[in-house]
Amino acid sequence: MKTITFNQKKTSQIALEFDELIPDEVYNWEKADFEKYMVPIGNSRFPLTDYFDIEVDGSAEAPEEVKMILNGDYGRVKYIGTKMGAGEIIVNGPVDLHCGSQMKGGSILVNGDAESYAGREMEGGSLTIMGNTREFCGCSYIGDWRGMNGGTITIHGNAGKQLGECLSGGSIYVKGDCDILAGIHMTKGFIQIDGDVTRWPGGQMKNGDIVINGELGRLLEGFVQEDIVENPEIDGKDFSGKYIKYTGDIALNGKGRLWLDAEKNRHLLY
Amino acid sequence: MANYEPPVTDYDSIVENCTCAFCGCNCDDLDYLIKDGHVVGVRHACRLGASKIMEDMDQRLMVPMIRGEDGELAETDWDTALDKAAELIAGAIRPIFYGWSETSIETMHHGLELGELVGAVLDNQATICHGPSLQAVQNAGYPISTLGEVKNRADMCLYTGSNAMNSHPRHMARYSTFPRGYFRPRGRFDRTVVTLDPKYSDTAKMSDIWVGFEQNGDYEFYNAIRAVLKGKKLQKEFISGIPKEDVEELAEAMKNVQFGALFFGLGLTHTLSKQRNIDIAIQMVADLNSYTKWILMPMRGHFNVNGFNIFMAFETGFPYGVDFARGYQRYMNGETNTIDLLTRKECDVFMVIAADPGAHYPGGAIKHLAEIPVIQVDIHWGPSTEIADVVLPGSFVGVEVGGTSYRMDGVPIWMKKAIDKPESCRDDEWIIKELLERVKKIKAEQGALASK
Repeated sequence: MKTITFNQKKTSQIALEFDELIPDEVYNWEKADFEKYMVPIGNSRFPLTDYFDIEVDGSAEAPEEVKMILNGDYGRVKYIGTKMGAGEIIVNGPVDLHCGSQMKGGSILVNGDAESYAGREMEGGSLTIMGNTREFCGCSYIGDWRGMNGGTITIHGNAGKQLGECLSGGSIYVKGDCDILAGIHMTKGFIQIDGDVTRWPGGQMKNGDIVINGELGRLLEGFVQEDIVENPEIDGKDFSGKYIKYTGDIALNGKGRLWLDAEKNRHLLY
Repeated sequence: MANYEPPVTDYDSIVENCTCAFCGCNCDDLDYLIKDGHVVGVRHACRLGASKIMEDMDQRLMVPMIRGEDGELAETDWDTALDKAAELIAGAIRPIFYGWSETSIETMHHGLELGELVGAVLDNQATICHGPSLQAVQNAGYPISTLGEVKNRADMCLYTGSNAMNSHPRHMARYSTFPRGYFRPRGRFDRTVVTLDPKYSDTAKMSDIWVGFEQNGDYEFYNAIRAVLKGKKLQKEFISGIPKEDVEELAEAMKNVQFGALFFGLGLTHTLSKQRNIDIAIQMVADLNSYTKWILMPMRGHFNVNGFNIFMAFETGFPYGVDFARGYQRYMNGETNTIDLLTRKECDVFMVIAADPGAHYPGGAIKHLAEIPVIQVDIHWGPSTEIADVVLPGSFVGVEVGGTSYRMDGVPIWMKKAIDKPESCRDDEWIIKELLERVKKIKAEQGALASK
């Protein structure tokens, strides 16, 4: 097992890009390799050690045996864990854009907030954000109809707009509140939001499940109220209590399922 | 008749069939009245276009300037100004080249080469106007036609989130509502005009039907129209504040036209859910095409804002906010767009070409611009000049210099030269090309030093 620890020395106003610093790439790096590495900042590259003290303990034969611990403020460090396939990253602080985007395996734990595009096009593994995240978590790249298609994202705080946009697999859990259009263009997968949702979850969704345990502000006309179901099983998970079940978005003949806590969403009953 | 302005009769010559350098309509039927080398009158143009073409020479940038240590702009010669600008660009880590919408495609060509060379972000006004439309087009396609087809065929023109009477004054007169077309010989009488807008705008006043749905209700409204087109009976009594019967009636009317044209403006692109408003509007148009012919078109603002997006999409695959920092093109909203880079204080050198961010940007972005070196290539003194460190006076495309632009429907139009530019000014194309050469020279010197 190898533990690589980054201790921040200074921050940069222009964001650093960490897409090359994933367990898959650095599992066999020694301290000297990190000292030689030049990290992309804007159109240039600068020594990584200008910004971090790096400690390397133990050894690894494969990415699975790597744990990276990033201590400090990573609010200006983009692409942490992008495309990682194995190993573990723990960030003790906030992270910038694209954390865990296109990741295929392994795990990322963010002990802070995450900027937009966390878990974009994620294919596997787990991403846990202990704080809030902003727009387009688990979304697709612009123009693509397939967003996250595997793995699990758990957000302990609130999520911004268009959570799980074009979700085509995997699961997203939000413990807090969520902004508009969660699960827009979703074709598969599962979203559970425990807090309140402002409006329009599941816009143009074709399939998959969205569960809202809080209050929903506004529902789209493309959803048809089917039934009130007690203790439903949704996507293989057991839920207790009464849920209003809708199907939609029928504006495009969708067969997605939207489940709303019946008690908190009486105002939406026909 | 207090505001009556008599027609201009005191002129030396007329240059016919010029193209307007104001909005995305690119009206190419204008006649410029010339006296003593200046445009003193414009025939056929709207008031907005005419006032821009008859430029105010008091505000004209005439000579290069550099801001001195005393904080004041001081006149200088072209070599000094260009060297200073090239030095700033060559030394930047996160440069942005912004604007381009009021200059020619030919200038953009050199700008792109410069951007690639130094790893800059190239962006235009779409970042604060129709950017969401461009994103939606990438998601859902682009059911468009030319304005000529609209003129000849459309029997329903629908304006949504756009007050064309104020922003594009000749749009209704020249392309959509009033002109007689091959299949619409009675012009206005052969067409139904609908405005979807929370405000009872001047365009709404000209329309047969005004649907004043609630602000930010666009997405919900279009979703309901799509549901009706799919045969669903609406359940709610009101959709975005509009009675469901009215929504159903409008959907039925839209199905039953021969050729419908939906024009949308910033009222759609910049309300809640932004690009997804356009996305759903495009898909509604796709649904309507199961019944009849419908097209959709953004009401582009600056005369060549569409040109930059078409040019960049052709050259790089991305329409705006293209980042060359890593040596290849990248594009990500919220990351490679000018406003985001400025409000995050990432940009360290900003070059503005034929645009005035000082007048339009949010406070946070302006604040950062005031703290970093700004190079301005423009023809008029404006708020951006107040924060510029190097000022390079350009030329007026479509009046003083020729160039290619793209109309809002994507039709390329040659904008011809009508008068000579002031002697002390230079073509935008020449300025950018010259900067490219000087930056290349600096880079070559840096490379030679590094290899030693």
